[in-house]
Amino acid sequence: MAHAIETHGLTRKFDGRVAVDGLSLTIEAGTVFGFLGPNGAGKTTTVRMLAALISPTDGDAIVAGHTLGVDDTALRGSVGILTEQPGLYDRLSARQNLRYFARLYDLDPARADAQVDRYLHLLELWDRRDEPVGTFSKGMRQKLAIARALLHEPGVVFLDEPTAALDPEAARTVRDFVKGLKAEGRTIFLTTHNLPEADELCDSIGIFQRRLLRMGSPSELRAGLFGAGTIVRVVGDAARYVPVAKALPFVHEVHADGDTLTMQVDDPDLRNPDLVDALRGAGARIRYVERLQHSLEDVYLRLVGGHA
Amino acid sequence: MKKALIVLDKEWLELRLQRGLLLATLFLPPVMTAFAVVVFYAAGKFSANVNTAGAPLPPEFAGLPPLELAQALVGRQFSVLFLLLPIFIPSVLASYAIVGEKRERTLEPVLATPIRTWELLLGKMLASLIPALAITLGAAALFVIGIFAFAITDRVRELIVTPGWVLAVIVDTPLLALIGVALIVVLSSRVNDPRTAQQFSAVLVVPVLALLFGQLAGVIVLGPALALGIGVILAMAAAGALWVATRLFQREVILTRWR
Repeated sequence: MAHAIETHGLTRKFDGRVAVDGLSLTIEAGTVFGFLGPNGAGKTTTVRMLAALISPTDGDAIVAGHTLGVDDTALRGSVGILTEQPGLYDRLSARQNLRYFARLYDLDPARADAQVDRYLHLLELWDRRDEPVGTFSKGMRQKLAIARALLHEPGVVFLDEPTAALDPEAARTVRDFVKGLKAEGRTIFLTTHNLPEADELCDSIGIFQRRLLRMGSPSELRAGLFGAGTIVRVVGDAARYVPVAKALPFVHEVHADGDTLTMQVDDPDLRNPDLVDALRGAGARIRYVERLQHSLEDVYLRLVGGHA
Repeated sequence: MKKALIVLDKEWLELRLQRGLLLATLFLPPVMTAFAVVVFYAAGKFSANVNTAGAPLPPEFAGLPPLELAQALVGRQFSVLFLLLPIFIPSVLASYAIVGEKRERTLEPVLATPIRTWELLLGKMLASLIPALAITLGAAALFVIGIFAFAITDRVRELIVTPGWVLAVIVDTPLLALIGVALIVVLSSRVNDPRTAQQFSAVLVVPVLALLFGQLAGVIVLGPALALGIGVILAMAAAGALWVATRLFQREVILTRWR
């Protein structure tokens, strides 16, 4: 699969302070990439570099087939960006806002009008199309800003905190829309603090704090950091089965809490039957056996916490 | 260039939606001009007892009868209005067009489009300069018509509508307007309130007022040579101001340095 974004040692310094330090990553076309990190980690600076808004101090990147720093005007025309702030003209109507940007994105008047109307319908803003944007709710403004980023049908879209400060219903609409964009084959570079959202939407995730701490699919990140785990619920006190579990060579880090045993297991798909046999052999009556699922939040906090 | 016109179009659309700003900037000059012409007319009718004993006067006003002197003084004072308007009008328009956009955080999405920074700057500047110059020159033309219609003698007319003043209006006012807009761009990198930018840019009226008082006191005679000389100085100042403005109005600088 082709790479939509490829960076090598991308670095940005501000007056000697390193904001982004040697970022190297590849993002496959047609996937959703989640870029996670705490405030001030350099996420927005990275997005601005990749969207050719600011130049890197060092390193290089290819975005949507354009080499950064070679023809940045063409690069900007090939990507869409939802900036941190919606940045809309409050006095202008939704339609006037979008028409302005459609023309700046080189759409001819007829196509500009068609695209504006299309996205106003898609994002459920058609009924308010001629009203000043200053009267819009936060959710409507965010949807309009997303529409603005897509008018020219870019192959790569940067979304900086698309659901921040939205109510659950509006956030759901935006998430569904992002899924739709992915289904259309677009590459989404998603910056978010909403970890369940990243888990739900992203094919791969980069955890970033000035430099890339870890990158992989959500499941790879969990497995890489916490290993695979199994939870066994038994009848009665689980503590008495701890020695039995610990005696098994493929079981590690066994904890008991009430009727629940939690442990790391090498290759659970293969070893869980042996584990169950050993516990039953020791007299355990088993209610449930479940896969231990670490949340993306656990992964994030372990990585970012270790570098805070 | 096409994108500069798109920006210009959007700026004027926004301007049309700001009724207060539109009224204050575009309709006030004709009203002031009409007022100037009315006062000029009245001075020629009702100033028979004007007393200028001891007051410094331009040498060319010496020996004028009272009514002519009154008209010439009124006309000369109001004529400077047309050197002040091109400072005020574009400063007000540009401060809303640039500082306003900075405050509303609308610049970043624009900078993210394939527009070149000079196209954006040109669009913003033209959006302020074109109406300012049109309204100033239009108002100046009305003023000249008023002077020609109501001057009680040819001498009064010649003392007000001088070749120096005409040259100053045609040559110097666009340059003053350009400096005003460039100054707003420079100030935009530091201030977040359009009114603050306007207050700072108002410093440009000082040399114009100096010209007015110098003329009235007889110290300065605004002849064609002086008007052109001022034009040369203003052109250099405008070039310097534009150079600074274009350096500050760069994508990178706007996004990382403007606070």
